[in-house]
Amino acid sequence: MYQYVTHFTTHDLIFMAQGAGITLVLTIASGILGTILGFCIGWARSTRSLILFYIFGAYIDVIRSIPLIIQFVLFNSFMAIAGYPLNPFFSGLITLSIYISGYVAEVVKAGIESVPKTTKMAARGLGMTYLHEFFYIVLPIGTRTVFPSWIGLMLGLMKDTSLIAVLGATPPELLRSSQIIITRIQQPLLVLLGAGAFYFALCHMITQFSNLYEMRWREAQGG
Amino acid sequence: MLDYTFHWRVVLKQWPQLLKAGFLTLEITIISILLGLLIAMVLAVLRRSENKTARAMAGMWVALARNTPALLQIYIAYFGLGTFGLHLSPYISVLSAITFNNAGYLAEILRGGIDAIHPSQRQTALGLGLTPFQAYAYVIFPQVLKVVFLPITNQIILAMLNSSMGMVIGLQELTGMTTFLQSQTFRPFEFYFAAAVIYFIVAKIASTAASLIAVRHFKG
Amino acid sequence: MIEIKNVHKSFGDNAVLKGVDLTVTKGEVLCLIGASGSGKSTLLLCINALESIQKGKIIVDNIDVHARETTKSQLRQKLGIVFQQYNAFPHLTARENVALAPRLVLKKSKKEASQLAEKHLEYVGLTDKIDAFPSQLSGGQQQRLAIARALAMQPDYMLLDEVTSALDPELVGEVLDTLRMLREEGMTMIAVTHEIPFAREVADRIAFFHEGVIHEIAEPEKMLNNPEKSRTQEFLRCIL
Repeated sequence: MYQYVTHFTTHDLIFMAQGAGITLVLTIASGILGTILGFCIGWARSTRSLILFYIFGAYIDVIRSIPLIIQFVLFNSFMAIAGYPLNPFFSGLITLSIYISGYVAEVVKAGIESVPKTTKMAARGLGMTYLHEFFYIVLPIGTRTVFPSWIGLMLGLMKDTSLIAVLGATPPELLRSSQIIITRIQQPLLVLLGAGAFYFALCHMITQFSNLYEMRWREAQGG
Repeated sequence: MLDYTFHWRVVLKQWPQLLKAGFLTLEITIISILLGLLIAMVLAVLRRSENKTARAMAGMWVALARNTPALLQIYIAYFGLGTFGLHLSPYISVLSAITFNNAGYLAEILRGGIDAIHPSQRQTALGLGLTPFQAYAYVIFPQVLKVVFLPITNQIILAMLNSSMGMVIGLQELTGMTTFLQSQTFRPFEFYFAAAVIYFIVAKIASTAASLIAVRHFKG
Repeated sequence: MIEIKNVHKSFGDNAVLKGVDLTVTKGEVLCLIGASGSGKSTLLLCINALESIQKGKIIVDNIDVHARETTKSQLRQKLGIVFQQYNAFPHLTARENVALAPRLVLKKSKKEASQLAEKHLEYVGLTDKIDAFPSQLSGGQQQRLAIARALAMQPDYMLLDEVTSALDPELVGEVLDTLRMLREEGMTMIAVTHEIPFAREVADRIAFFHEGVIHEIAEPEKMLNNPEKSRTQEFLRCIL
């Protein structure tokens, strides 16, 4: 059914487009999961509890010191050993979520700590509880402050999805799809540039929007 | 639940191989960072030049390096250049791709450092009679160094982690060697765990050393 | 002697100096007053070639400041400059801040430069802070540090750009005291300032800057009590 042709076909283009779609699905899914998890961890680390600070600190430390590829295969083989072998795609998805949660946690903690002490004191002075202060004051302000950093993390996540290939996950995301095609055809560079264009276009555009947002936010702050 | 016996001895037997691969990882990291820094300094200067083309080209390099996956950059070096008849070895492909990547990120770090220094510092130094070279060497550069030191050490650790992608094209740096060894012994978990520990220890030593140096040398 | 002849300076399309003529003799203290943006600070920056000029000449001790042959760094040894924002070098202690330029430019040895630094920091009253970093000093102390730093180069002239404007009121006095000492010693100074009482006390002449030119110039008594031009009167009425 699949013709063995050594040039790039429409079928290939569709294959790559599907890969791009999988990249986006992976990014969004692990982005959401990782952000939720990272938010909880970052919040925990911003409290006065030293235990939480150090335990999650170690968690983040480990995540940031080990290559993502190793994290993928380690998690996957661990689950197999534990008796719960996972579909590589889902195993990869979970690993990506855990991976990005470490970075998100640091950004969230920075956001919480960026709210001036005087602002928090003003809220308490009005009789607000910790939770009031957190959800109505700290969260809105902190979120806007670290939004560009968070966007940066999400874009990094999108680029990192390209590594899930080491697990042989199916369906393949964009870079794996590209690699499958180029083992067959004579023009590897064009295919790779095409894939690169996708990543570049998305990352570059989103970064520009994020920069615009940051500028507007700075002005609004009275910069 | 864990119906599995861990066989760590298999890993210990292969210790010399892992060590050798570890050194290859370090070698790639160090060379790619040093080269990357040199290129980044050139890029940082070009991005501030009067010449529009120079600015655009330097900007392009940085944008491409930072907005595409590192693995893609490795693929382009290894597979893509074949279109021009240029067939690089896995080692050179990984080295050049990571250098390319480093240069982009480091250029951005340097830019942040230079922008952080208020222009009046240069004016003040010149006002005291220092030549432009003296102003840069004794007043601007030390201040830039203070700002960029930790981000650069961070990038060094990132470069080491990125080198693991060499495994995908068959390079036997630490991850590649680990993959090879576990395929021979069917002990993926033990081997990858050992690799993880090695990476972690090296990264921790690097970041601790960096913090200590920063605290000791950057006062004021 | 500093001669400023028909100097014009623009930033892009924005003309800031539109024909400034001025002569400052040795030992004279000249204060420049005027509204923000009238060009006073820019003029100071043009005198020691930190800014270029489009037209006119500035001659310091018979050297054409903006001529291509002039070695700017050597010229700047004669012209000490202190800015509104102190601009202390944050990565160096007070001693190192003052000793740096004498070491690099006057080619003094490390020991000589350090002694020079001690001497000048003592002059401005910062001996007990000699090994502190600028971040550990108050605004007034940083400004006095900046003055000591400029003086250590043994300049013939001092250019002072609103050196008290960024300071809290209680810190202004200590800086003005330092400037008074300089005046006593006969230092030639051109000071851009808002401190009218101070100008009245130390200046030999006060020049009123308006829209890029010197609108009026006279001795303090005449200038402040009996100005000739209406613009000058308006300005003084606002600030006195």
